Amino acid sequence: MPQFGGRQSAGAFFDTDFSGIDNLLAVSLLYGLQGKGDCRVAVITMSRPNLQVAGFADAVQRFYHGPAGNFSELPPIGMRTEGAPGETSAAFTAPLARKRPDGSPVYRNQVRSVIDTADPATLLRNYLEAQHDGGAFLVAGGPASNLAAALAFPGLTALIAAKVKYLVIAGGAFPQGPAQPQVQADLPASRKLFAEWPTPIVAAGAEVGAALPFPGASIDTQFAAAVPDHPVADAYRAYRPMPYDAPTGAMAAALYAARPGAGYFKLSEPGKIEIDDGGRTTFTAMEKGNHQYLIVDPAQTEKIAAAYVELASAKPMVRRFRPPVQNAALPQPRK
Amino acid sequence: MITRKTLPRRTFLRGLGTAAIGLPFLDAMTPALSASTMPDPPVRMAFFYLPNGMIMDAWNPGYEGRFSELPRTLKALEPFKDDMLQLGNLTHNTGRALLDGAGDHGRCCGSYLTGIQVKKSLVDIRASVSFDQIVASEVGGKTRFPSLELGMDDARQAGDCDSGYSCAYTNNLAWKSQAQPLPPILNPRVLFERLFGSGQPMTPEERRRQSLYRRSILDFVTDDTHKLEGSLGPTDRRKLDEYLTAIRAVELQIQRTENDNRQIDPHMDKPYGVPADFAEHFRLLSSMIAIAFQADLTRIVTFLVTHEGTSRSYRELGIPDGHHPLTHHRYQAELMEKVRRINEYHVQQFAGFIEKMKTAREGDRSLLDNSMIVYGAGLSDGNAHLHDDLPTLILGRGGNYFKTGRRLLVRRETPMCNLFLTMMDRMGVPIERFGDSTGHVEGLNLG
Repeated sequence: MPQFGGRQSAGAFFDTDFSGIDNLLAVSLLYGLQGKGDCRVAVITMSRPNLQVAGFADAVQRFYHGPAGNFSELPPIGMRTEGAPGETSAAFTAPLARKRPDGSPVYRNQVRSVIDTADPATLLRNYLEAQHDGGAFLVAGGPASNLAAALAFPGLTALIAAKVKYLVIAGGAFPQGPAQPQVQADLPASRKLFAEWPTPIVAAGAEVGAALPFPGASIDTQFAAAVPDHPVADAYRAYRPMPYDAPTGAMAAALYAARPGAGYFKLSEPGKIEIDDGGRTTFTAMEKGNHQYLIVDPAQTEKIAAAYVELASAKPMVRRFRPPVQNAALPQPRK
Repeated sequence: MITRKTLPRRTFLRGLGTAAIGLPFLDAMTPALSASTMPDPPVRMAFFYLPNGMIMDAWNPGYEGRFSELPRTLKALEPFKDDMLQLGNLTHNTGRALLDGAGDHGRCCGSYLTGIQVKKSLVDIRASVSFDQIVASEVGGKTRFPSLELGMDDARQAGDCDSGYSCAYTNNLAWKSQAQPLPPILNPRVLFERLFGSGQPMTPEERRRQSLYRRSILDFVTDDTHKLEGSLGPTDRRKLDEYLTAIRAVELQIQRTENDNRQIDPHMDKPYGVPADFAEHFRLLSSMIAIAFQADLTRIVTFLVTHEGTSRSYRELGIPDGHHPLTHHRYQAELMEKVRRINEYHVQQFAGFIEKMKTAREGDRSLLDNSMIVYGAGLSDGNAHLHDDLPTLILGRGGNYFKTGRRLLVRRETPMCNLFLTMMDRMGVPIERFGDSTGHVEGLNLG
């Protein structure tokens, strides 16, 4: 990746609650895409106040970022301070507990208290300002709390409209299905998001993640071969008894967001997504609608699984990057 | 009820149209038997800006809360640690590259008090009104000078000082409008004459002729001084004497500097009144800040100690290398140690100023108690050019407001402009938003 000049790849913003292992895999996938020059991971924001989980997210970010260097600022994790901290899975605590023979932690993190994290809306604002117009995408893998709050932050809606090409949400069920936990977790926020978000939205429903299970066997093969100590591989092992293949709604959303023209997925016609009182998503087709949802193409599932493994297990590429001055065009979502 | 005549706060000692010396706060300025109705003393605000970041391992203590052992760079402030509040994690996002590429030094200084990202240009200068000038426009009319802008380095206003950023951005802190910076006064003589003269700086020839007939600017106000002394009590007389002695000391030092400079090199490119020695230059300018605050000549000072990207060397410390090149140390221990020593040296000079502020009394408080003296930088790690966790000290309680004696960490990415909002409140100029502020910094006050 060039340090100065050259075409700038899209800025990737990821908001999640890290409630499932899929969200961690999505982070790895985005960093793998960064290594390929398909995006630059800008910031990660969390929608629940859980310092242990934020600490693990920080450790993952440091794992991929590498040591500090000239012009290589490592952003903090954005963390919501309202709401409940939720469950702290062993997926987060077990890797952080690992020590080297000298007693030092295998994975460094610097989150000790809330001051080591940032207000999500402020962080989003600060890092969106470093993106070219239409030069960023946002992936949402959890409840809509942070993004709805961002819409109420002074000046941020206009900034989002200018900088964010599209938002890809892992959530809901399409064309219809049962209510999903990440929507129910903050129903008012989800409704606000679908009603007021100023850019196109593409949703990856639960059916997408279920149809594209992550090849769990790769954790002990490709991941282990790439890096002996890999925080996401450790988390995957600790999350559930191995072997298992996790659903991949957030990974699918991230893959589509960074490579919308790669033909991995089909897209619904344009329309409008709304949420009923029970938290179920409904889709109404309309010609000038700003919402679409992903449709799994059975012919692409093997290709997607291969991309998941290749990208998520990729060896970290230390980033030494400053934004160039010239503009960069982001691929258009397929219609 | 009132049994004696009260001396007006804005009394000046005047003489022959050449001198106008403001006075410190005296007991005689308070109405007798009316202490309970006395207005609070005014709050003063100053910024001491240091360039090229700091070595942060020697700046930040490894703890939050009440000060115990101070970190190495701050050791000289040990006598004043109960008067000091160290803030951590404040960020100037507008100093970052965003979409403007290289030029962190030009940007960080330009954005420091303006709170916006300045335009990258050599000719089309675009910043914004700095917050000190917003305050000055509101309260500056209450003092002889709405604000004072001081510096010790290059004051060029044109040319390329950093990767396409005009020198206007690196060589000024205060901005009157988006295209009009307020260049700092570098020459102690110019500042002295501005503070105590009739209002117009003298030409060198006028100064030479005057020096034939007098020894001190105080000689011009002898009559006024004697008259005033006759009406003061013993405490006020002692206070006045100390104050005038401090002015005389500054004046003598300026004269010595001018004589020394003539002998050192008659062709030196600095004006004769500008000391070649860093410590002497700092002491002279900062002494006059203390006097100006004491006499309520101004309530707002910005002091660009040296400018971003400066290659000033510190031979007095045995460091012939330029400051800015040293800060590109690539984490080499030997180079980092030199920067630590420069950082310490700067703080040592600053401590001398704080001592003056602490010693000067104003009613039942010190002048420092009624002030907010910010010592800060626009970069933290100068090697990585980071714009977060900006080194920020506040000395003084801003009029019995700040809870000092501790290190306070705020959430990461908290805008520096949030602190400015709080400071504007303390200066009696409350506004809702400034720059990229998101609210006030919480937890600063005694409450």
